[in-house]
Amino acid sequence: MTVTNKVQVNQTQGVNHSTDWFTRVATFSPKFLLLLLIVPVFGGLIGVLLPAFGWAPALNQYSVGLQGFNALWQTLGLTQMISLSIATGLISTVLAFVITLMILAAFFNSVWLDRIQQILSPILVIPHAAAAIAVGFLIAPSGMVSRLFSPWLIGWELAPHGIFPHDPYGISIMLGLTLKELPFLLLMALGALAQPELGKKLRQQHKVALNLGYCPITAFFKVVLPSLYPLLRLPLLAVLAYASSSVEMPLILGPNTPPTLAVAIMQWFNDVDLNLRIKASAGALLQLALTGGLLVLWLLGEKTVKYLFCESLTNGKREYGGTYWQIITAIVTTLVIVFIALALVGLVLWSVAGFWRFPATLPDSFTLIHWQSAVMQIGEPLFNSLLIGIITTLLAIALTLLCLEYEQIKGKLLSRFTSLIIYIPLLVPSIAFLFGLVWIQQLITVQVSFISYINVIIAHLLFVLPYVFLSLASSYRQLDPRFAIVAASLGTKPSKVFFKVKLPQLFVPILIASALGLAISFGQYLPTLLAGGGRISTITTEAIALANGASRRTSAVYALMQMLLPLIGFILAWVLPKFIYKAARR
Amino acid sequence: MQTSLQIKNLQLFRQNELLLRLNEQVNGGEILTLMGPSGSGKSSLLNWLTGALPTGFTAEGEVWLNNNNITQVPAHLRHVGVLYQDALLFSHLSVAGNIAFAMPAGNKKQRLEKIEDALEQLGLKGLADRHTDNLSGGQQARVALLRVLLSEPKAILLDEPFSKLDSQLREDTRALVFEQIRYHQLPALMVTHDHSDAKAAGGKVITLNKTE
Amino acid sequence: MHNIKCWQALTRYCFCSVAFCVCINLFSTVLFNTAFAYSVEPQNDISQISEINLKEHWQQIEKKGRNQNVYFHAWGGDPQINAYIQWVAQQVKAQYQITLHHVKLSDTSEAVSRVLAEKSANNHNQGNVDLVWINGANFATMAQHSLLLKGWADKQPNFIYTDSEHNPAVTLDFGVPTQGMESPWGQASLTFYYDQLASNNPPRSLYELLRWSKKNPGRFSYPKPPDFLGMSFLKYALVVLHQQNSLLAQNQLYSQATAQNTEQTLKPLWAFLDELHPNLWRKGKHFIQSGVEMRRLVDDTELSLAFTFSAPEVPAAVKRYDLPYSIRSYAMDDGSLSNTHFVAIPYNASHQQGAQLVANFLLSPKAQAYKQQADIWGDRSVLISSTLNSEQQALFKTQKPHPSALPFNSIKSTLSEPHPSWVEAITQGWQTRYGVTP
Repeated sequence: MTVTNKVQVNQTQGVNHSTDWFTRVATFSPKFLLLLLIVPVFGGLIGVLLPAFGWAPALNQYSVGLQGFNALWQTLGLTQMISLSIATGLISTVLAFVITLMILAAFFNSVWLDRIQQILSPILVIPHAAAAIAVGFLIAPSGMVSRLFSPWLIGWELAPHGIFPHDPYGISIMLGLTLKELPFLLLMALGALAQPELGKKLRQQHKVALNLGYCPITAFFKVVLPSLYPLLRLPLLAVLAYASSSVEMPLILGPNTPPTLAVAIMQWFNDVDLNLRIKASAGALLQLALTGGLLVLWLLGEKTVKYLFCESLTNGKREYGGTYWQIITAIVTTLVIVFIALALVGLVLWSVAGFWRFPATLPDSFTLIHWQSAVMQIGEPLFNSLLIGIITTLLAIALTLLCLEYEQIKGKLLSRFTSLIIYIPLLVPSIAFLFGLVWIQQLITVQVSFISYINVIIAHLLFVLPYVFLSLASSYRQLDPRFAIVAASLGTKPSKVFFKVKLPQLFVPILIASALGLAISFGQYLPTLLAGGGRISTITTEAIALANGASRRTSAVYALMQMLLPLIGFILAWVLPKFIYKAARR
Repeated sequence: MQTSLQIKNLQLFRQNELLLRLNEQVNGGEILTLMGPSGSGKSSLLNWLTGALPTGFTAEGEVWLNNNNITQVPAHLRHVGVLYQDALLFSHLSVAGNIAFAMPAGNKKQRLEKIEDALEQLGLKGLADRHTDNLSGGQQARVALLRVLLSEPKAILLDEPFSKLDSQLREDTRALVFEQIRYHQLPALMVTHDHSDAKAAGGKVITLNKTE
Repeated sequence: MHNIKCWQALTRYCFCSVAFCVCINLFSTVLFNTAFAYSVEPQNDISQISEINLKEHWQQIEKKGRNQNVYFHAWGGDPQINAYIQWVAQQVKAQYQITLHHVKLSDTSEAVSRVLAEKSANNHNQGNVDLVWINGANFATMAQHSLLLKGWADKQPNFIYTDSEHNPAVTLDFGVPTQGMESPWGQASLTFYYDQLASNNPPRSLYELLRWSKKNPGRFSYPKPPDFLGMSFLKYALVVLHQQNSLLAQNQLYSQATAQNTEQTLKPLWAFLDELHPNLWRKGKHFIQSGVEMRRLVDDTELSLAFTFSAPEVPAAVKRYDLPYSIRSYAMDDGSLSNTHFVAIPYNASHQQGAQLVANFLLSPKAQAYKQQADIWGDRSVLISSTLNSEQQALFKTQKPHPSALPFNSIKSTLSEPHPSWVEAITQGWQTRYGVTP
């Protein structure tokens, strides 16, 4: 965290030599940002578009045609793959959204909302793979749930025949995705409500509705939600895009006869039979269309809901069984929290378990050898994770701050086009452009020993930037402009205003954005694997290589390590300011 | 039947520190005015009356509305309307929508007619479909008043309701609000900084002291 | 204060240079590579070197290979094997100052795709993969696409210990001649293991397996093809099912799979699977993803019987608590499918000499003996003991085995791997029949 400051401070030094350097850099930054995002994403898309239509120099194929798509249509179970992708993506997003709304509605303006957020927000930093592993442990036939009830209640001596995880209907995937996306959406909503202007207005309007006799849940849906929803739209679309095209969760929790479309595409890309790559590229385009279709469907659904319920907003009805919903929400929330807690307890137990035969609820003995053997092999991956994470985050923060400063210099918000492009990596399925991106990166390989690091950092930046931007933008835009005006009127240069006036005020948001950036970077699997050419191992690539199917004990250790890294970041972001302010006050 | 709002032996505490003590009754059509510096507990009193006392505050005592003890009734079932200094209109609804939102459920056509009548009475004819952000301050204040009145409250609380209006508008709006309160025979409690408000209310005035 | 300023200047330069490199990577080299890419052709065939120059040739390699960074792409799913590769890294560091990086793959085909992608991008001598652990179908693919360095493996000094003249196992990979493209590393046989507490009488043959699974429904399964281990089980079944047939029919398995012979040859396999599947784990509607997952399901007591291609993995897992203490290993009476695994060097490897030094070390009696120790890896050596002197032979002496380990000499007969083209044929047929649950 302190590094962030030093880099910024040293930029100040640079500014002192050439007067207008800073403004020029700030003016150039949005263009650089666009370039950094557009080139890899659209380049990557072209890199799958060409092979999809048969142009693949790698395979000595130069004829343009539809053979890739023909092969794709003939794939057995394609319909099932598509429907599985659609169902898991859509249902998990809807579920996560509905539960988020229920929690918000039932606990709006209550202390419980903050408590629930505190309990759920650590889950935000858990990488998807680790979360999938934890969920798998819980719902497997030999998992914590059946161990808790066996053998005293059910009499199972051997693990029962179950369907979870890997059930053909994708329920396990939906469960995993819902639990993972719920805290994200909740946090996004609370983040929106934390904006001073909007938050205060909505809370007061909620209070007005209560005074007018509306039950709290109805008041939330009729008064708060219509104003809150536009701020949730983008996170929702990102969740939907991710859920319909992700690889980690369906790989660990999903069926394989057939798998989801995204997993199948990844398997075709990695298949020994290289001609499958044409089909895989065609599949990537299909995935793109599928995700795009879902996004459009969501927007249409939004319009329909708005149209259908527009009337009832003002029909004066104040109560829709609010008490029951309150109880149901309390039950659902408790279940979610208990479920997550059990999964985490299970993870911790497995990581220190000796022999632990089903149906024992606790391990026969405890041992640290799983941790010891992991710690012995963790040096390089840990170093790589930290190096890539820190550089990526620093770049993302610097670029974001410069772009936001450009907004203030220019006196208007970034163009709609730019704001849309920033979120493009979140809305385009990564499987659709990463393979093309790797192809392009190989095309322009420079022989520098750390080239793969640069490639990985660029790939990570695509996913870190949007989140850092999302997390910093609102705080930056809400800075009271009068401070800057006062400083400028005293003859302070723009660069000095930026570094000496604005950044110190943004200390806490910058720390939080850094922690978020680090967490996102730590969790990246496909980008690290592909862009790094497999040469760069991080905690996450190790966790998936070792943990995908391997021993529960090793998986548990790696999943916990995956969680610990970002958690440390967030704890630092939380503790440092208090510590520093305390010191300053003295 | 005579309507009334009774505050019985209220003691309001902030972190165990006594903020204010009150024992009053307001009858329908009367306006009780509370004055005092900020920090004297005026806002907390209103919050307690609406059933939304923030954490950190505690209260002893009872509030009775039309001979019903509503001390433990949740906020949304109290039928106590509030007018704040901000109009706090819902920006996702039109003028008519804001008022319809407040009215009891019922026949759609009758509700619309009632809204039209009410708008006309307060000189807002033809503004039903306007977006609330496009109204002037005075118009917003009147829509907010209509919204409270048409929700058929049993009592009304005024939280410095005119402090954001300029002086001419202030007098007009004040006259309108007080007239409506008397017309509907509602017990009302007003919190204000302004002596002219207190004078215009014509009811009992209580001045609170800041507690040390 | 001065220090801080220096530091700040330094970070500023770092910052600038990173930004600069990003730019370079993105733009300038596009021009550079597209302009010159086609002029570079592969020129790595060293198979023409004469016998006399062999010693000199190796000295050259030792000279050039020193101090290189060798990227060894090898499946990384087993902690024991990973630890062994770490040991190898220490050894080659001490001997040649080579820094060996183990690039852990979850599937060897990842490395194959990578080399192929490099070839397509006209990267003919700066490849990322220096050494790859490989055999079977992956080898066949790489050989077919000319992705491997030729004629080096049989020129390694330690290759003589394999007695290759009388030991075809080290020059044939699933029936395909290696032509010096691969250096043998170890040997493996399909070994079964079961949970004593769950089932006392494990099946001793393929036909018993069918009966056993009817008595113990849901307690057995195999990884979904094309997974290597799942494929091995299917090949074991295929070979055993043909044991009673004419030699002609059996020979089909060891020649190319064609459109003509495929249906007839695979027919008994599908008949067998049709009968087996309803009694598998999840009723044969979902299959295990990998061998390690199968091991975990045994630990979970969901499965009672499983198999592995690396027998020592079983006692090692028990010692790590990854399998219950009640596990016992055994070999099937009707034969154990056996194969050799190799290391190969891609044609465009950046550090070919270093890779050859590592491969040669892997083949040394010291490395092979260490690898064969049960608590290190337990992988069977590819060296023939008659070629070793007594001192070297002493390295191979065994210790008392773990109760869950495969008893000594329990492999009664070995079954050879069918021709690699059958992998594709089986995968295709399997996918059509069982790949999609109706």
